[in-house]
Amino acid sequence: MSASPLISRLIEALRCLPGVGPKSAQRMAYQLLERDREGARRLAAALEESVERVGHCSECRTLTEDEVCKVCSSNNRERSLMCVVETPADVEAVEGSTGFRGLYFVLMGHLSPLDGIGPQDIGLDLLEKRLKAGEVKEVILATNPTVEGEATAHYIAEMVRALGISVTRLAHGIPLGGELEYIDADTLAHAFTGRKAL
Amino acid sequence: MNPSAQRIELHPAYILHSKPYRDTSLLLEAFTRDHGRIGLVARGVRGNSGRRKMPLMAFRAYLMSWSGRGELATLSKWEPHGPPGKLSGSSLMSAYYINELMIRLTHRHDAHPVLFEYYREVLDCLSRHTLSEACLRYFELNLLDELGYAPDLGHEADSGEPVQAQASYCYLPEQGAMRAYGPCPGVRVGGKTLLELSERSLSDADSLKESKRLMRAVLQRYLGDRPLKTREIFRQSLNPSDRDQST
Repeated sequence: MSASPLISRLIEALRCLPGVGPKSAQRMAYQLLERDREGARRLAAALEESVERVGHCSECRTLTEDEVCKVCSSNNRERSLMCVVETPADVEAVEGSTGFRGLYFVLMGHLSPLDGIGPQDIGLDLLEKRLKAGEVKEVILATNPTVEGEATAHYIAEMVRALGISVTRLAHGIPLGGELEYIDADTLAHAFTGRKAL
Repeated sequence: MNPSAQRIELHPAYILHSKPYRDTSLLLEAFTRDHGRIGLVARGVRGNSGRRKMPLMAFRAYLMSWSGRGELATLSKWEPHGPPGKLSGSSLMSAYYINELMIRLTHRHDAHPVLFEYYREVLDCLSRHTLSEACLRYFELNLLDELGYAPDLGHEADSGEPVQAQASYCYLPEQGAMRAYGPCPGVRVGGKTLLELSERSLSDADSLKESKRLMRAVLQRYLGDRPLKTREIFRQSLNPSDRDQST
């Protein structure tokens, strides 16, 4: 690479972004330096400030710069419903597509026994404390339909049931607009077992 | 097995462990029928790309094609083999324990076709939910047997006589079962449990409990000092039945 040391450092730093290889990192660096210094300044300032100030919501663990995030502190949410998700991006997905008006709890991951990631690492002690406070009447488990997501859901379901709170899990099924012929066998088998009366 | 360049087509395999790798790939630890435990990289299977249509999950039988040289081969094709597993709840937790044992005790590229069959059996047994603790004990024994570490549970270590069902024994992992007369520095276990375990016919709660303590001590010898992660996690478990039965 013939770029100066500082530019090389910038290119290298940009590569920490997902999907950014050496070539795109180089394009980004030159774009910022050649054509958009103002944008670069804003980016640098926003990055700096976010890294300094963004932490976890003390109630639902999602990322926020406030002590309690906007959803948790809102007065317009149904406080008896709680949806448990793996990541902050999952909150956005549920929020953007379902019209769900309850609260969230963000695990920031899932149980992964072989990697040594256990209940406390995904904040289940905090979740238990919140459920014991008695506000929540139904817990909706929206962990991913992976083996780890299932294990996590099982764990949480046991805990929630023991507290006498009702617990539901998102349905597994065939994607809308899909064709049976092209759907993977396991998803189809799941959908078949979970069929509904009409 | 020599890990030199090779191409394998549609070979029976299970995934023992998977880890995200780069943006869209997975690193897999797979257990294959004729090539033992191998490391695989599955490219472009995460995220919203076309290759993700067929999920890659632990505890599910696949036919896999891979090629490559050295420690990490490239997974090129896979399809589900047989009906999907029905592991859920606490049996899923036990299955993780099985996978951890497999990773800790087998070596990469050591072929164990018989163990592959035992592995399939234990997953099947766990998914049927009946006497799952017994399934775990038999698998532990079968695993040790296949690796050449099988303990002799049917005979007294010092005299070589057959174990008596009514007698009480002291089991020392390095030596075996000996009649217990005084204090026991190993695991105290009844003759009935030893016999039932060696015949794979554990019958009641007491034998299950004793055989669990016994197998734990036996396995400890081969696992060394590093604790099993799955066991640590089950210890934190909030549900007492999981805590007691998953491993």
